Amino acid sequence: MTTGAPAPTADLEAGQRKSEPCKACHGADGNATIPGTPSLAGQPVFFTHWQLIKFRDGRRKDPQMTPFAANLSDTDMADLAAYYAAQRPQPRPAVTDSAKAEAGRQLASQHHCVSCHRPGLTGHEQIPRLAGQDLAYLVKLLRGFKAQTAGDLDGTMTTAAQPLSEADIENLSHYMAALPPVPAPPR
Amino acid sequence: MLRITLASVAVLVALALALGPLADAQQGQPPPPWKQGQPANMADSTLAPIAQPPAPKAAGEIPVDKIKVPAGFKVSLWAHGINNAREMVWGDKGTLFVSSRVAGNVYALVDKGDSREVKVIAKGLNLPNGIAFKNGTLYIGEVSRITKMVGIEDKLDNPPAMEVVYDILPRDLPHGWKHLAFGPDGKLYFNIGAPCNICVPPDTHANLSRVNPDGTGFEYVAHGVRNSVGFDWHPITKRLYFTTHARDWMGDDSPSDRFDVVMRKGQHFGYPYCHAGDMLDPEFGKGKSCNDYVKPILKTGPHVAGNGVEFYTGSQFPAEYQNRAFLAQRGSWNRSKKIGFRVMMVTIDAKGGVAKYEPFAEGWLQGDEIWGRPVYTRTMKDGSLLIADDYAGAIYRVSYSR
Repeated sequence: MTTGAPAPTADLEAGQRKSEPCKACHGADGNATIPGTPSLAGQPVFFTHWQLIKFRDGRRKDPQMTPFAANLSDTDMADLAAYYAAQRPQPRPAVTDSAKAEAGRQLASQHHCVSCHRPGLTGHEQIPRLAGQDLAYLVKLLRGFKAQTAGDLDGTMTTAAQPLSEADIENLSHYMAALPPVPAPPR
Repeated sequence: MLRITLASVAVLVALALALGPLADAQQGQPPPPWKQGQPANMADSTLAPIAQPPAPKAAGEIPVDKIKVPAGFKVSLWAHGINNAREMVWGDKGTLFVSSRVAGNVYALVDKGDSREVKVIAKGLNLPNGIAFKNGTLYIGEVSRITKMVGIEDKLDNPPAMEVVYDILPRDLPHGWKHLAFGPDGKLYFNIGAPCNICVPPDTHANLSRVNPDGTGFEYVAHGVRNSVGFDWHPITKRLYFTTHARDWMGDDSPSDRFDVVMRKGQHFGYPYCHAGDMLDPEFGKGKSCNDYVKPILKTGPHVAGNGVEFYTGSQFPAEYQNRAFLAQRGSWNRSKKIGFRVMMVTIDAKGGVAKYEPFAEGWLQGDEIWGRPVYTRTMKDGSLLIADDYAGAIYRVSYSR
């Protein structure tokens, strides 16, 4: 017999119910439309869950998300992550610049983005889908990693972002935002 | 918090230049640390580090009966629900402190007889793998600092502030997490890993180091150590024995991970020039000789990922177990068929070398599927052995009765 925090078993219906307060920013089904706010639909379960943990313990900070995550239980996080992973990602409305996207495509190759984010930048496990993500959000996050304030799990992105110029960040973001939002493969 | 040192950026740049033909030809930037050193003929490999689950497994999802131990021993689930459970140390008053790595937490487990209560005493830390306990004080090793919580056992529900002991340490995250332990000399020992898979590290990296508990007297103990996150001192000879994770992307069966003993301060154990005592690195070994470096006393196997080392001095196990070393192997990712995911034991001979290397607990690997990763051990007061599993977020108890 042992006790401890009861380990969560993900529940999609509970996740949908618990996502009520998230809808105002992240959209009814995890497809956000507000510039600067990420879509969560089709993101890997591990990714969303780990981000919620980091918001709760303060490693990742955001004026909206920090207070929201403070009240989530481990089970809440598992349910929300499972719910969003099961939703179909839609393209974001932001207009992308094809010349910048082409420059970004070359940068993505030079910086080995697919090594972790996988071909098509679909993400997997704890690594997010970047394809079809919001343009302004991608710019914001890459700036955060470069400034060493975005709080990644193991430092990989902080290291990867150090050589990026502001123009690189913009070009990479246009490339990623313009890719079709293919969901991450299931675990 | 997550600052990268100038030294490490210089290393990465130098690495990108030095790797030359090994790296993809047209690519200007180094790949992520886990992929560095991957030769062109492995570029299509799908091998990648095993993702750490964000939540521990429920008790019902933990198949303890699959763990096989020698006759006379039995295994039970001692505690669960401890996200990413790693190192374990005992407090003076019977609290078991448990660290984590990417979960960023330090836990206190309070024994309630037939169950354990799990309290989070610190969170949001920077890969706080290392913990040690002495004279009522818990020491915590993060990537770039060692801190302490004085009198923690009396304040588990209202933990004291973390006071800095020593923070003049590299901030590099790759292999930056620490094993922390007090040596027989009363000094606090830890590792500073290589900030890469394979590179010529700065002089400040790839070593074992020590500092006095008040933060004075920093010094290097061993050099050429790629990534050691487990060591302990032999109960009789008081010599320091340690495991090391060897480099990746040199094939399924090479190089072997290693188990070593430090015979005197300042020895060099070969990284990045010579692996496992007899294999020159294809890039950095040019012009070097393995005879110039200390050879391991045991090759523990390729990619097994040896973490915890603990010499057994408990009173419960059969007499032949006295002073044997338990080696917890977290298991491979950079190998087409998985290996490790077990606790091995090493019998040390009269000369300090290895007489026997054999399994003690295995079964977390079933076929090529894993359900757990044993990462550290800790002997209980009654002589039972606890095994922490960071993948399942659980602690098992192995006990013996004749």
